[in-house]
Amino acid sequence: MTSRARWAGVLRTPVGAAAAVLLGAVLLLAVLAPLLWGGRADEVDTAHILAPASAEHWAGTDNLGRDIFFRVLVATRTSVRLALLATAVGVAVGLLLGTLPLLLGPRLGRLVTAAVNIAVAFPGLLLALSFAVIFGAGASGAVPAIGLAIAPAFARLTQTLAASVAGRDFVAAARIAGVGRVRVLLRHVLPNIAEPLLVNATMAAGGSLLAFAGLSFLGLGVQAPDYDWGRLLGEGLNGIYLNPAAALVPGVAVVLAGLAFNLVGEAAAKAVGPRTATAGGRKRATDDARPTPTPTPTPTTAVPVRPQQSAQADALLIVEDLKVSFGPVTPVRGVGFTLGRGEAVGIVGESGSGKSLTALAVAQLIERPGRIEARRLELLGDDLLRTPPRARPRLLGTSLAMVFQDPMTSFNPVQRVGRQLAEVAEQHLGHRRGPALARAVDRLRAVRIPGAARRARQFPHEFSGGMRQRAMIGMGLMGEPKLIIADEPTTALDVTVQRQVLALLADVRAADDVAVLLISHDLGVVEQVCDRVLVMYAGRIVEDLPVARLRDGARHPYTRALLGAVPDLATDRDQPLVVIPGRPADPAAPTPGCAFAPRCPLADDHCKRADPALIEDGSGGRVACWHAEQRPEPAPAAATEGEGR
Amino acid sequence: MSELTFEDVTVRYGSGRREMTAVDRVHLTVPSGAVVGLVGESGSGKSTLARAAVGLTPVAGGRILLDGRPLPRGGRRPLQMVFQDPYSSLDPRMTIGSSIAEAIPRGAVPGAAARRDEVARLLDLVDLPADRAGCHPAELSGGQRQRVALARALAGRPDVVIADEITSALDVSIQGTVLNLVRDLHRELRLSMLFITHDLAVVRYVSDYIAVMYLGRIVEYGPAESVLADPRHPYTGELLAAARRGGPQAADTVPASVADAEPADPHHPPTGCRFHPRCPVGPLVHPDRTVCRDTAPTGDGRPHRAACHFVSSAADPAAA
Ligand SMILES: Nc1ncnc2c1ncn2[C@@H]1O[C@H](COP(=O)(O)OP(=O)(O)O)[C@@H](O)[C@H]1O
Ligand code: SF4
Ligand code: SF4
Ligand SMILES: [Mg+2]
Repeated sequence: MTSRARWAGVLRTPVGAAAAVLLGAVLLLAVLAPLLWGGRADEVDTAHILAPASAEHWAGTDNLGRDIFFRVLVATRTSVRLALLATAVGVAVGLLLGTLPLLLGPRLGRLVTAAVNIAVAFPGLLLALSFAVIFGAGASGAVPAIGLAIAPAFARLTQTLAASVAGRDFVAAARIAGVGRVRVLLRHVLPNIAEPLLVNATMAAGGSLLAFAGLSFLGLGVQAPDYDWGRLLGEGLNGIYLNPAAALVPGVAVVLAGLAFNLVGEAAAKAVGPRTATAGGRKRATDDARPTPTPTPTPTTAVPVRPQQSAQADALLIVEDLKVSFGPVTPVRGVGFTLGRGEAVGIVGESGSGKSLTALAVAQLIERPGRIEARRLELLGDDLLRTPPRARPRLLGTSLAMVFQDPMTSFNPVQRVGRQLAEVAEQHLGHRRGPALARAVDRLRAVRIPGAARRARQFPHEFSGGMRQRAMIGMGLMGEPKLIIADEPTTALDVTVQRQVLALLADVRAADDVAVLLISHDLGVVEQVCDRVLVMYAGRIVEDLPVARLRDGARHPYTRALLGAVPDLATDRDQPLVVIPGRPADPAAPTPGCAFAPRCPLADDHCKRADPALIEDGSGGRVACWHAEQRPEPAPAAATEGEGR
Repeated sequence: MSELTFEDVTVRYGSGRREMTAVDRVHLTVPSGAVVGLVGESGSGKSTLARAAVGLTPVAGGRILLDGRPLPRGGRRPLQMVFQDPYSSLDPRMTIGSSIAEAIPRGAVPGAAARRDEVARLLDLVDLPADRAGCHPAELSGGQRQRVALARALAGRPDVVIADEITSALDVSIQGTVLNLVRDLHRELRLSMLFITHDLAVVRYVSDYIAVMYLGRIVEYGPAESVLADPRHPYTGELLAAARRGGPQAADTVPASVADAEPADPHHPPTGCRFHPRCPVGPLVHPDRTVCRDTAPTGDGRPHRAACHFVSSAADPAAA
């Protein structure tokens, strides 16, 4: 989304639109009112002094008989102009103070930061009042007073935002390239923080409008014969029992105008806020960076997926023709496999291929608006498709365990680890508190956490990454799981720690005959733990084969390319690595034929028209490719064009 | 072509009680025109060493020399760096053309047209079409961004390029492209490179020399084949065992006390040899090896050196 589109989006929300209209009206009035009604507002009419509201004078008249309603309209300019001026002063000073630490370097910068932090601690209105007294009554004193009162908060915001951008690698890269501090600030930092600052300045303008009215009301702001809303309010208040409208109308004007600035700011903040520069960009770019073609809801032709008949008898998990969809997009498009008791199966594929969604679907963890469809989805003979939703958490706590990539997010950070494990036993197994905790310690010991009893009393952040992952597995073992689903369990870990966790998974499996469904982008990891590999591409299984045959018996071109794309300790150093040209398939834009065809060296016209079914090859494997018998030319150089050409 | 030397370099973070030594008296040479692979687990100080070299982090001790001379401050930057995360290393508000142009030294290419040509040449060098110069980073895939980052590093006409985990944030099918490009560029431009990664297989593929880092110290350094074929430091041996893909892991060959040991806390590094609480041939297994607890081992200065009191026994237990 470009920034212009985002700002336009602000206008489409009801609050945003209303606020924008209101703000437009205030600004228009500020420009036009003195031109149109300047004369009438100053017209002295001694015959009607201090008249109450009437058809002729909607808000009555003041002590010189001037029409208060028109005076309020005309005062819009002074009020808004002075408020904007004060905001400008505040923003300028704030920007300077906020960016100073960046320009001065760490040591002097810390001093500035400390000074700003102290200033922020004072209430803004108090600051404004004392400055106004120091600078003297009158608009020329009130403007800098309010400006300086706004400045600290703005400076702090600028500092925080600037510091977070300055910590990003592109700023480091610019500095390495020899770009000076001032240029880094102007070219890299300010443009990346401009939006939130602008939003904040808008809200600050609303605040200074109110503050100015306050100072004028107290006689510290605008002085006669000039007038703004604050002064009109003060005058009107003197005669409030005779003519309430004289105080009410300027009061309403202040509130409305202040509201207009604040609401526009808030609506914009909502639109701008959630977009942290990376988080938004990353998702889009991995899938497809170019404007995505509108997703066409092509109902993919149901390809007959033949589950393996052999394993059916002692099957633990049966999945047939599983589809997961989010609206018109179907990232999992007919996956079928069975998992025997105690069997370890790996799912590999690149990001976006549907690995995790398949696992989440099995664990019944797909949340709205996601939808699961399947011909069959059975775990331990229970039909998951017809399990009432209320019975599902039981499944997860007892016969099924789930391990995620980042255990930190799976643990409650403010609860002790032992307690969290014990809770599983209390909720799902009906254990009481004492025995549950004892079992938690026992399970922590089972996953080889040294000093399990002591560790159980610690918080998740006191654990190292590898230990948290083991504790997570331990939590899975609180019940008596028949299946552990592990989604990239070692991706965030170091190789040596990774090895410990994988060895633990293998041990658990051997000890209790637990089946393992291991998801990874790393073929090496799967090879270490699993008996069988399912290779996924674009929401389908394209190959299913025993791990032993992976290195030399893989038949799908994608599997072979994956094997060649990652160097291992036996890769020929004099040959370029195999490269898979093109981009990963986009689930939002399915192609009619084989999804791998745009990147496949063996693709022909038939591949582009018809999607190959996943069929058994007679030796315990399955493959979905029209040319599974053929091997591609061993000429990886031809493919070095690389992605994105 | 230049030789980059780290001489007794120490880098500290924080101060007072929270002070920690992220890089501890490191000696390391990147010979002219060679690729040195630096491996080690996360937090071992690899990135810190890189950031110190390019001047992003001040050094607390020692010197970093280029061809025997201290690095120039200001002016042309002979060292350039490519970062791990291509989603954060390019300014989202700038076209990739201007990001690259910014890194071209002022005096080197005068004139707007000449700079445009130079950007096109650099894009071509990293296999991207020149018309991509007008794109913003959001329009590019991860692999393409990483190539832009490489082009920007090359724009500074560096003598040495430091690549910090440049493939770890990429999808497997794309890592190969970037690695191939690194190798091609190295061959074409005869650059000296410090290639940082945690993946031994990747390092093996691109490097002439390998340096292994553990908790802020270089524990082994030598020609790539020699280090891989004959790892002298037990930690290198562990890394190799973990990197051997295929087949079940030999985790059971090391005693459980060692196999499940936790990574050390860098704020409180172990005394003596920092690897001793995890070492399969250290004091946990051989109680008489108290020297590991008391004295920090140093390398012996040979081309293939390891910082271990029991080097030979680590490679060949029979020789102990
Ligand atoms: N800016 C920093 N402030 C404090 N400590 C840091 C900072 N950057 C890194 N560290 C610490 O320094 C050590 C080395 O980190 P780093 O150089 O990033 O290691 P690597 O690149 O090998 O993963 C780690 O313990 C890390 O937590
Ligand atoms: S069906 Fe055709 S395009 Fe698809 S993988 Fe096989 S050969 Fe390639
Ligand atoms: S010095 Fe001792 S503890 Fe350290 S690596 Fe060598 S044998 Fe192991
Ligand atoms: Mg690092």
